[in-house]
Amino acid sequence: MTAGQAGLGALLLADGRLPVGGLVYSAGLEPGLADGMTQADVPRYLRARLRTVGLVDAAAAVLAHRAAVPDAMPDAGFGLDDVQEALAARTPSAPLRDVQGVLGRGLARLGERLRPDHPATVALRALGRAPLRPVALGCVAAALGVDEEATARASLYDDAQAVASAALKLSPGDPADAAAWVLAAEPDVAALVHVALAAGHPDDLPATTAPQAEGWSLTHQHRTRRIFVA
Amino acid sequence: MPENHTHTHEHAAPTRALRLGVAGPVGVGKSTILATLCRELADELSMAVVTNDIYTDEDARYLRSAGVLPVERIHAVETGACPHTAIRDDVTPNLLAVEDLEERFAPLDLVVVESGGDNLTATFSPALVDAQIFVLDVAGGGDVARKGGPGIERADLLVVNKTDLAPYVGVDAERMVADATSARDGRPVLALSQRDPESVARLGDWAREVLRSFRAGQHVAQDPGPMAPHTHADGTTHAHA
Repeated sequence: MTAGQAGLGALLLADGRLPVGGLVYSAGLEPGLADGMTQADVPRYLRARLRTVGLVDAAAAVLAHRAAVPDAMPDAGFGLDDVQEALAARTPSAPLRDVQGVLGRGLARLGERLRPDHPATVALRALGRAPLRPVALGCVAAALGVDEEATARASLYDDAQAVASAALKLSPGDPADAAAWVLAAEPDVAALVHVALAAGHPDDLPATTAPQAEGWSLTHQHRTRRIFVA
Repeated sequence: MPENHTHTHEHAAPTRALRLGVAGPVGVGKSTILATLCRELADELSMAVVTNDIYTDEDARYLRSAGVLPVERIHAVETGACPHTAIRDDVTPNLLAVEDLEERFAPLDLVVVESGGDNLTATFSPALVDAQIFVLDVAGGGDVARKGGPGIERADLLVVNKTDLAPYVGVDAERMVADATSARDGRPVLALSQRDPESVARLGDWAREVLRSFRAGQHVAQDPGPMAPHTHADGTTHAHA
């Protein structure tokens, strides 16, 4: 794998146009707006997500990356299954686990098409059930030769962009402002990438969940007039 | 860009179900056509349905309540305000839904995918469906067929629906069908009314013929294309086909 391919791989994984079914997901924004959040709250919501579930997801993606290529870290002492379990345990809302599974399957499908024989793709297939999005992201990233740091950054960026682009559909403003929210998250993302990389074992996976957003997701699953699944 | 080469050879017969798309603007009767296909074919074929709704799972609930298929064979995909994307540029959620149904109810003969009601330019990617029906109705106006568009011109079948309403909305249904036929370069057009059993039977026969051709390895999925014919400033009109 040349550095050039890995560089494009990282960009691909961070691109909202990647065909993995991201269009169904507002990163919890629609449930939040339905509960009374306003457009003015969106930048704070975006940052709050990054520091909570965004960090958990990014760290899980890093751990999945390590578990997916055991040769790279033979003494890791954990497998992809352990990462999936640890992340599921930190995602108490069933609808959020479900949508993470749908997004994970989209990524897994992409990995099967792009790198069917790569050990990371084989490991993801062997999981035998819908991988949560970060688990699939870590594996597909490994299969594309994207390093752990770029994987963590792609995970955080994708979360921020999911909020920003959903905001443009749900509570539209100048799209340049939405881009500015994402760019303004740079200091948070840079710091969180390092925290995510520090998780050495699924037992150490951060558990900074967001109970308010979890609660919103439970209400949202029964809403009959919604645009996004979650 | 649409695949434009002509296949004369036969492909290996596929083993999976035929995937049939039903597209068209809001309110033309797509869900009713799905229910009709189920009523006509479910006794002889093993079927499942995927609906795409812009808002929640209304179409799936309509079909479940219609009692035309066991409820577990009807799956709703929510499209996040992107009904066009979900059937064309990122078909992943729909493909996963189709593959789930094929696995759960194997062997299926036919999976029908209903698009979310969008506009005249929305057609299915051949990566999602093997064949597609584009639906118009007389109440949408008699001139719609003449205006053209990828679905109207190049879907495998064009349905002009609710022909029984034509006298009430001031539309000449025969004229509309004739306009559609001339826009389609020989591709079939079906004038459909739920009150005309013969037209309903023709819809079922068309689907049976596509399935037969698909199983024989003779059917090739066609992309109706993303672009409507349009006029340039110099007065020339052309389609990107």
